[in-house]
Amino acid sequence: MNMSGLSFNALPPIDLPFRFFLSAPLFIIACALLVLFSGETLWLSRWQPTMLALTHGFTLGFLTMVMMGALLQLLPVIGGIGIAKPRLIATTSHALYCVGVIALMLSFVLASNWLTLAALVLLSLGLSIYLGAIIWVLVKKISQGDSINCFRLAITSLVILLLLGILLLANRAGINVSFITLDKHVTDFHALMGLVGWAGILIIAVSFQVLPMFHVAPNMPKYIRQYLGVSIFVLLIVYIFYTEFALGLIFISHGVFSFTLLSVINQRKRKVPDTSIKYWQLAAGTLLLMNLLYFLPDRFYVSEETPLFISLPDKSILLTAVFIYFYLLSVIQGMLLKILPFLSYTHLQQRCLIDFSAMQFIPHMHEFLNKKHGLMLYYLHILSGLSLLAVIFEPSLYIVFALCLLVEFVWLLVLMVRCMRLYFTVSQKINLSNPP
Amino acid sequence: MSSIPEYMTTKHRECDAFFSEAEAAVADKNWSLALAKWQLFASELTEHLAQEEDTLFPQFEQATGMTAGPTQVMRMEHQQMRALVQSLDNALAAKDKDEYLGLSETLMVMMQQHNMKEEMMLYPMMAQHLSNGDQLIEGFKANVAV
Repeated sequence: MNMSGLSFNALPPIDLPFRFFLSAPLFIIACALLVLFSGETLWLSRWQPTMLALTHGFTLGFLTMVMMGALLQLLPVIGGIGIAKPRLIATTSHALYCVGVIALMLSFVLASNWLTLAALVLLSLGLSIYLGAIIWVLVKKISQGDSINCFRLAITSLVILLLLGILLLANRAGINVSFITLDKHVTDFHALMGLVGWAGILIIAVSFQVLPMFHVAPNMPKYIRQYLGVSIFVLLIVYIFYTEFALGLIFISHGVFSFTLLSVINQRKRKVPDTSIKYWQLAAGTLLLMNLLYFLPDRFYVSEETPLFISLPDKSILLTAVFIYFYLLSVIQGMLLKILPFLSYTHLQQRCLIDFSAMQFIPHMHEFLNKKHGLMLYYLHILSGLSLLAVIFEPSLYIVFALCLLVEFVWLLVLMVRCMRLYFTVSQKINLSNPP
Repeated sequence: MSSIPEYMTTKHRECDAFFSEAEAAVADKNWSLALAKWQLFASELTEHLAQEEDTLFPQFEQATGMTAGPTQVMRMEHQQMRALVQSLDNALAAKDKDEYLGLSETLMVMMQQHNMKEEMMLYPMMAQHLSNGDQLIEGFKANVAV
């Protein structure tokens, strides 16, 4: 029997996940400035270099950043074991990764060979260090479960995503890669591995844990927990050979997930109003809408003929934007609203196991993150999401989108800083009450 | 095979249900319903903790010789949960909705983490080490019936 599962020292020091979380909104703030100063041309095609900078700012700078921080913390809670040498690993990988993402974004905007090479080296180094440590934990025999299996698939997707990214960057830097043709299909696969494999499967895995835990909801049906993650992963591989077929089934799988989510949320026992639940519902609704958009006949999209009412913009841009903004970002923000106070509280609470009297200093969870402030973030998120849709239809509205983004993510940053400041104030009080 | 994991896990779920009902009532400012549900929760919790601390933990410690191990940590967490229950009692008496909901979110998260450790680790270990598990559970059930 594995006794280390009951050990509480597996939690890494709180400043490690915090630094990943804190850097994440900064990248979106940078993206907002990029949108603001790039003008309308940014929205012409997904191949615009500035658009590539923007998508990577969102996906690497924000989404992956938060997920990396959260995994550091989730593995010990769910798997009972954390990474070895957490401070060394997290500090070096975080620093290399941050500079790497900045270099990558700049390399797209400035089209500099030197920056492309720098991004290539920094990102592969930063991610390899991080992945090495996580994979070491995941291959060891830790508590088994459907979530852990999905984590493994998500991490595998990240590895594939990284390798393809390295190839694409090398190609961009003029290094000839002869064994593979780097065409649009490879870029599509790279994007899909990131959005659906890495981010998507991780979210599915997390949903298995957090809905029962935070909301006293029933477990998802066993067949969903066992087969959904692996089916999506297999479909991603099938995508290489049968693009349209696999893509359709990937959308349908997410539709199934969406119905399961809504049903589980509906059956939750904890009915107290909760912003994270609103985010999950928004995310589930988004997946249904995406199925509708995907299976809508092509004549509704930009075409020669006049469509029924208004013509929809480029299908892939629209679907990708909706998926990133209304699905991935929604879930991640909803999770952050739970994780930030949860981590702060748990870390302080564990120090009070030994010094029980210090419990009096610990604020309750809503003091770490005020519920009304969380709700405000949710409304800001919907507003900037709508402005993103508007700008896709009408690129001249880019200023509105940039400003909405700016407000939303500055607000998120403020919420994070407040939560962390309270943590350190209380931590100081506990120190003073209990001199070493 | 022992029914310890099954019975004790069911009790966790029952506590969760009463707890959630009390919380929802507070959110609606239905204070009399909240108090009724909260008292149901509090007495279920007290009984559950007592079953662990007075019977299951000592038996487990005796059977395995682990006195400073997981049971010790669980006892410390119980103490923290009791402190939060006390604060929730006060918030309920003062009809302070925001304070109550902040504390209930906190206790909820603490209980869920605690339960996960017991259900995934401690109860299965008990089932393995305590040959009289079924008898103990029968005893609990008989006590409740009285």
